[in-house]
Amino acid sequence: MDRGMVIFLGALLTFSSSWLGLIVFPYWQLGNEKPYQKGEGEDPYPRPLSGAELAGMKVYQHNGCMYCHTQQVRSARFGGWTDADGVERTGADIKRSYGLRRTVSRDYIYDNPTMLGTMRTGPDLANIGVRNPSDAWHHTHLLNPRSANVWSVMPSFPFFYTREKVTGARSDRALALGREWTVDPGYRWRPSDGEWDGIVAKRGPELVAQYTAGRAESIDISTADGKKRLLEFWLTTPEEDYQVVPNADGDALVAYLLALRKAEVPLPEAKE
Amino acid sequence: MAATAELSQYDRAKSAAERAAIDASCRGPVLFFASAAVLWLLVGSLLALVASVKLHSPYFLTGTAELTFGRARMAHLQAVALGWATLASMAACLWQMCRLSRAELPYPKLLYLAGALWNVGVCIAVFGVLLGAGQSVEWLDAPPAAAPFFVTGLGIVSAWVVAVFRRRREAHVYVTQWYIFGAVFWFPWLYLVAQFVIFWMPVTGVVQPIVNWWFGHNVLGLWFTPIAVGTAYYLIPKIIGRPVHSYYLSIIGFWSLALFYAWAGMHHLIGGPIPAWLATASTVGSMMMIIPVLAVAINHHMTMLGHFHRLRYSPALRFTVFGAISYTLVSFQGSLMSLKWYSETAHFTHYIVAHAHFGAYAFVTMILFGLFYYMVPRLTGREWVSSRLIRVHFWCTSIGITAYVVGLSVGGWWQGVMMNNPDVPFARIVLYTQPHLLGRSLAGALLTVGHLAFAVSFAANVGGWGQRRSSGPTLFAQPAGQKA
Repeated sequence: MDRGMVIFLGALLTFSSSWLGLIVFPYWQLGNEKPYQKGEGEDPYPRPLSGAELAGMKVYQHNGCMYCHTQQVRSARFGGWTDADGVERTGADIKRSYGLRRTVSRDYIYDNPTMLGTMRTGPDLANIGVRNPSDAWHHTHLLNPRSANVWSVMPSFPFFYTREKVTGARSDRALALGREWTVDPGYRWRPSDGEWDGIVAKRGPELVAQYTAGRAESIDISTADGKKRLLEFWLTTPEEDYQVVPNADGDALVAYLLALRKAEVPLPEAKE
Repeated sequence: MAATAELSQYDRAKSAAERAAIDASCRGPVLFFASAAVLWLLVGSLLALVASVKLHSPYFLTGTAELTFGRARMAHLQAVALGWATLASMAACLWQMCRLSRAELPYPKLLYLAGALWNVGVCIAVFGVLLGAGQSVEWLDAPPAAAPFFVTGLGIVSAWVVAVFRRRREAHVYVTQWYIFGAVFWFPWLYLVAQFVIFWMPVTGVVQPIVNWWFGHNVLGLWFTPIAVGTAYYLIPKIIGRPVHSYYLSIIGFWSLALFYAWAGMHHLIGGPIPAWLATASTVGSMMMIIPVLAVAINHHMTMLGHFHRLRYSPALRFTVFGAISYTLVSFQGSLMSLKWYSETAHFTHYIVAHAHFGAYAFVTMILFGLFYYMVPRLTGREWVSSRLIRVHFWCTSIGITAYVVGLSVGGWWQGVMMNNPDVPFARIVLYTQPHLLGRSLAGALLTVGHLAFAVSFAANVGGWGQRRSSGPTLFAQPAGQKA
């Protein structure tokens, strides 16, 4: 027989075995799972996402949040450590309060894509909606994670927020972010050289007046150094007439995070 | 390779003319694939640096949605896996298949179309991800719009490889041809199934990550691995002028790889919400991988035995042997990692990232570099312009990837140990990994310097800017007893 045909058939057969075993069979086993309903009148679990939550899932997906955060709680048999008394224990995920129990396939039946994740640069989020139900916390944390945890290495997401001028009353959705975090040098509204020139041209004298009001020296804004010093001053001075509010993406993402309530309801198939 | 000494002057001239004709038929399309690959390597390196620096300096380039960590990381993988490694692998498939089949490349112009389509696909993948259309499906982050370009481009290349194989004038089918033949058949099937099941008709729930890891792991195992292993099978004997240690072993190696590797992906989901039998089946597959790895290791290293001094002279051999040794090491590590007790610590940490780079870079990429140093001069008829540039390339990449893998493995392992202990606050783990991640960025910068040296060498050679050398191949040093 032609050697090419032997290689082809062999390659086909070996590969098909894995295709059947790892794709077709799991699909047959798991493809038809239904939500769990404990008794009459009780809410089925899980429930599908809707509206803003669904939009937020897309934001989560398109920004690759999954590459630092898993959404799976491992079983109590995983994660061995020795406690202070020298006793061997397991179940680190549950002990870290990532969930009440391990997650099972039924927790994910409405997920598309199913973003299990394989990396925990940040903590697991399977159950973040239960663990931290404060939308205000999530917003300030997303705008600058260092405002919540100084050691955090999570990216800031200023592009989920809009800085706008307060007209009339302050929005009750405006973030209450500590002043030192609003001047995060990474924020989008740290002006570029051109933008800063524009601001100086428009509001220069007014800003210099603000500067001199508090100290003895003055600033000469016609020099590059003067402009730079004024910028530092501007960045570290609270702007009472501006507020930061979430945009649609920011709102949606937080809605999604709050909807993440996996491993919250006991399931018959997840006893441990 | 048999009985070279008995070949008459006439036969030698004839076979040299035949090789020249084959190289001439490959020149255009193969160099097109190779050039695009080198460009994507540079793009991928920059994206890698951006993503890596962000992990220890979170204010770096913050505020730019396009370059936020998640997007840069997805784009990096698309650029290096589909841009660099796949385009280079396609060049490797086409040229080696022609050489080994002793057949010229038919209708080379259609291959330009295949290359162009594939590059359009990579552009859509990389820029689509950066602009916010990433899919968060590992290895398949490209926006679905890229798929038709990938499928068509890949289809043409695969068809051409088969066409060349069918036109072969050489009766003996060499083991490299087996591997290439397998790869160009497996990869399109893998890609189509994964696209279909994840994007076109999405399956529910955890079946998606199952398919995802079947794909993600098999891209390495059934596309990059066979091509890189096959390339090493071609280059090592060719350069040292000695047949493969055991032909019988090479066949065992091929079939056991085909049978076991395809089963190995599920350990990425160990302890996850999938049926336990799946992870167990995969662990068995991973452990059985010791057979093909051992077969290949014996073959590659025993062929080299007694010829290691040649590493002093030959750039192509040095890169290839570095890759072959890495293959042995990374595969044994991979088998180990499929075990539950091991994975319990390594899973979810930077240890996995280190392992992935060990495989995709220290093994696959280094062998592809080796192939470039051997293949390109034969295609362009021009030698490498500077042995110093090659030396910079070799030392930057070999030291860089070693530092990368060792540093990040250690950091990742302790990260896992601490993560498994709920008494350790998360803050301490994050702070602990920082120096390791900084080390990763430095190692990555070193790799990028190497890539720049490689790109300059490559451009000078292909662009015809360098001097045409007549004194023989560019070597690191002059072999003893041979005149310049």
